[in-house]
Amino acid sequence: MTPPVVHIRDLRKVYVVSQQQAGARAALQGLIHRRKVEVPAVDGISFDVAAGEIVGFLGPNGAGKTTTLKILSGLLHPTSGEATVLGYAPWKRERSFLRQMTLVMGQRNQLIWDIPAINSFELNRVIYRIPVEDYRRTVAELTDLLDLGPLLHKPVRNLSLGERMKCEIAAALLHRPKVVFLDEPTIGLDVTMQRRIRSFIADYKRRFEATILLTSHYMTDVETLSRRVVVIHHGRLLFDGDLSILVRKFTSHKTIVVQLGDCQADLSSYGDVVSCEDGRTTLRVPKAETAHVTERLLADLPVIDLLVEDPPIEEVIERVFAQGAQ
Amino acid sequence: MKYLRLFGAFLRASIVGEAAYRINFFIQLFESLLSLGISLAGLAVIFSHADTLGGWRPDEVLALVGVYFLVGGVIGLVIQPGMEQLIESVRNGTLDFTLTKPEDAQFIVSIRRVEIWKLMDIVLGLGVLAAALVRLGQEIGVLQAAEFVGMLLAGAVIIYSFWLILATLSFWFVRVENILVIFQSMYEAGRWPVSLYPGWLRYGLTFIVPVAFATTVPAEALTGRLGWETMLGAVAMALVLLVVSRVFWRAGLRRYSGASA
Repeated sequence: MTPPVVHIRDLRKVYVVSQQQAGARAALQGLIHRRKVEVPAVDGISFDVAAGEIVGFLGPNGAGKTTTLKILSGLLHPTSGEATVLGYAPWKRERSFLRQMTLVMGQRNQLIWDIPAINSFELNRVIYRIPVEDYRRTVAELTDLLDLGPLLHKPVRNLSLGERMKCEIAAALLHRPKVVFLDEPTIGLDVTMQRRIRSFIADYKRRFEATILLTSHYMTDVETLSRRVVVIHHGRLLFDGDLSILVRKFTSHKTIVVQLGDCQADLSSYGDVVSCEDGRTTLRVPKAETAHVTERLLADLPVIDLLVEDPPIEEVIERVFAQGAQ
Repeated sequence: MKYLRLFGAFLRASIVGEAAYRINFFIQLFESLLSLGISLAGLAVIFSHADTLGGWRPDEVLALVGVYFLVGGVIGLVIQPGMEQLIESVRNGTLDFTLTKPEDAQFIVSIRRVEIWKLMDIVLGLGVLAAALVRLGQEIGVLQAAEFVGMLLAGAVIIYSFWLILATLSFWFVRVENILVIFQSMYEAGRWPVSLYPGWLRYGLTFIVPVAFATTVPAEALTGRLGWETMLGAVAMALVLLVVSRVFWRAGLRRYSGASA
């Protein structure tokens, strides 16, 4: 058995934050004496990621996702616990480790604003000491996969957000890292661009057998890319496992969509009526009763069509977070 | 060698970036000529009333002005832009990208921005220096030239380390640009020989804000008025500050990553 690429045990990261009080007077007092507060951003989480795996890392804002990624990419020193990536302690920032990993942050740019992306690529080529042959081949491949052709020679400031993100991702992958940390890579992008980047990430993983840890706000990112999800909330691990199990575990209800002729019939005796449009009634029923209710509906009413669905994954995640908060 | 390649790569990137703003070339040309004009006019006024300034003859002060422009050009070319960007990147978090690169982060932040138009100050400085030497009519021996270059290097190292120490303060206090502005105005004092200033200020400009080592000392080396004690002092100061600035940088990084908390 090969050891895991990412290994985390009882990881904690506590920030010491000086609190600022509201108001000018309190602010002036704060110049002399600041109240320090300890905020645990990551509070004892453990999980492993195997080689070649894509793991979706979920959690609401402030859950500790970015902090965890920063620890794994060597930017933050953990307060306690273990974290290794490819067998290295990330915070030592050994060159042989840094050469094999990359960090992409959707909200921050590493490309230089005033020059075309290809010039920033060139800088990374020198920094990572990529042989010219390999560099040319990788640029060609990435250009092909991400459709960068017309973008590479324009100054970065003239690119749209989505175009810039594609170039950012390409710049971060020129050295063909084995481990890729993606922090909200699709944030702020339109649906088409999101899809584009998602399929690229999947392609990259396949081609280079990379291990990828990805955080996102968009459930579709996680749904399409990774079967395994790790959910954290308030710095604690809520769930680690298959996405379908997550859905099963945290859904107590199913959705039944019944197509009738119109919206006249009162279906409230079968379950909670969520909506009715064009004769399509959406019902929410407890999971255990799904079969029974379906049977009754088909027997009692002139049903044209009937569909039993799991609730949308956003709703499931919301429930997970709501339970975690308790 | 590998550092030279890196510097070359960043230099090329800067040239590509600057070439997009050709107007900056003319602004810089105007600024440099104006600044030089003011310096020379000041000299003319002073020496129309006095024969020496702090014990320096007119052409010696002219050489000092040349050094002042030369060193100021080096600061403006690479030191100041890099340090300003360091402070900025600590604030907005883009330093993260530098820290995940497999190269010495201090080296990268120190060279990653080059304001190529500042080469103008360097060229002007060299020109003034050459003019001063011709007027002095003095033979410059190999030893003296070597001393001059050595002192210039020591001065540059001292100024770089000093800037780096100031800039690393941004790891503790987020806004430190004001300190850099103060340094900039202190550097202005370096256009004149430090012997001109009262004792306390002379000490201040030598040991607290080491401007004297960057301008007066190299000019003294060139005009042959430098004792070996000062030379040794300058080299020692350069080495000590280089080490101290590295210590500051590492402490700053520990603070940034929360290793010290």
